[in-house]
Amino acid sequence: MFRATLAICGRTVVKRFISSVSGENALPSNLRLPSNLIGVGRQKRASPSGSDLPVLHRCEDVIPAHLAPAQTWLESLGSCDGEPLGVVDLHPDVFSVPVRLDILHDVEVWQRNFKRISHAKVKSRAEVSGGGRKPWKQKGSGRARHGSIRSPLWRGGGVAHGPRGPTSYYYMLPMKVRVQGLKIALTAKLAQDYLHIVDSLEIPTPDPHYLLELVKHRQWGDSVLIVDVGDEFPQNILKATEDLKTVNIIPAIGLNVHSMLKHESLVLTLEAVKFLEKKLLWHDVRYTPLYPFKLPYRDMP
Amino acid sequence: MSASIRSMSLTVCRAARVAYRASNPATRSLSTGACLRTESSPSEGSRGFIESTEEFRFVERLIPPSRIPTPPKHDGAAPSGWTPASATPPPLPYMIRRSRMHNVPVYSDIKHGNQHSTLLRKVEGEIWALNKDVKEFLLGLTGKEPPTQVNEVTGTIRIKGQFDKELKDWLLKKGF
Repeated sequence: MFRATLAICGRTVVKRFISSVSGENALPSNLRLPSNLIGVGRQKRASPSGSDLPVLHRCEDVIPAHLAPAQTWLESLGSCDGEPLGVVDLHPDVFSVPVRLDILHDVEVWQRNFKRISHAKVKSRAEVSGGGRKPWKQKGSGRARHGSIRSPLWRGGGVAHGPRGPTSYYYMLPMKVRVQGLKIALTAKLAQDYLHIVDSLEIPTPDPHYLLELVKHRQWGDSVLIVDVGDEFPQNILKATEDLKTVNIIPAIGLNVHSMLKHESLVLTLEAVKFLEKKLLWHDVRYTPLYPFKLPYRDMP
Repeated sequence: MSASIRSMSLTVCRAARVAYRASNPATRSLSTGACLRTESSPSEGSRGFIESTEEFRFVERLIPPSRIPTPPKHDGAAPSGWTPASATPPPLPYMIRRSRMHNVPVYSDIKHGNQHSTLLRKVEGEIWALNKDVKEFLLGLTGKEPPTQVNEVTGTIRIKGQFDKELKDWLLKKGF
């Protein structure tokens, strides 16, 4: 019996070894996957390194000599099944940074908690009405000794260590950590093939079904976050995304790690890519602030 | 005494109001009507106020820059001893970037007054190859191999002992 169990353990170890050696695609044969699992049937698109399409946008900022720009396709939203228009160069210090999941977690938790003010408050024994008088004399009544009817021991009494008043959970992570979180999120989206670059947000109809069909056809995922620079967007895309819950549009200043993690796919316009690169790379070459950056400096990005 | 102070303050207020009205001719012309607009410019000249925005350049040049400038080109070392990184990265499996002030990222650290360590930051690429090279170099320097701690996630190496000057010169010779 002991030899049989040893043989079985050996076999499972060998199977695990084989699966790790052959690669991550080897799923066990008896595995049953639920139909709504994300990313199982997805095939990654071919990388644009060996294509004939022209490079339509080079990085404006200086790239370090030992790094090469990351490349991705430039698409269009004009027609549902359109071919990519060209290839776009992305700065490696924004789109190919080492993916630090701990920083990503820290920034996500900060985003959730720094705005939180919990208004939970309960009355302590001092605040509950009544309970000033000693209910019965200390000795002789035969009952336990008490000083007030509102002590935490009593029914209807105050709470001993309850939540006290509005508590703020405000804290600020350093600016550079938050910037690094954004860079890591963008890198992760690019690496997992969830980042799409689009030349502009012009769509032919304000119909939300057009967008849903486009997203489904191009296998962009269940939820899409569309990002553009500036305060004005084309009317068609605003109307189309107005009533959709899974496709959302935000300006580039509103880009944040929580939204990027919440939506499966990220769509950036070329202008948004330029804006983000300029703003995020400035933090690598800036001085420590003499006075807050809200006040004027000579060369703000 | 109080009467003279009050009269002084009244004249000051009147002068301030006159100066305000002179510096804002728009309000005056709006209130007095379009027909009086031509009259406002000769009256301004007669009061002695000339508006000019050319002197603002003296303010603009006082506003500090926000970006660290790239250092000027030197052949070899600068007079202070600072050496620029080589233009082409050295042909090694790892790369050590410069700090934002263009210095070699080697820092010495002391804990509890007696624990000396050296931190080598901003390492990209094969950090274990760099670890091996560092250990070989310090073996040749001191005769014993110092314990090191490699952090792959952050790209740093912490070495026991204080070797910041030697490591800086070694990295500069390599061309980082």
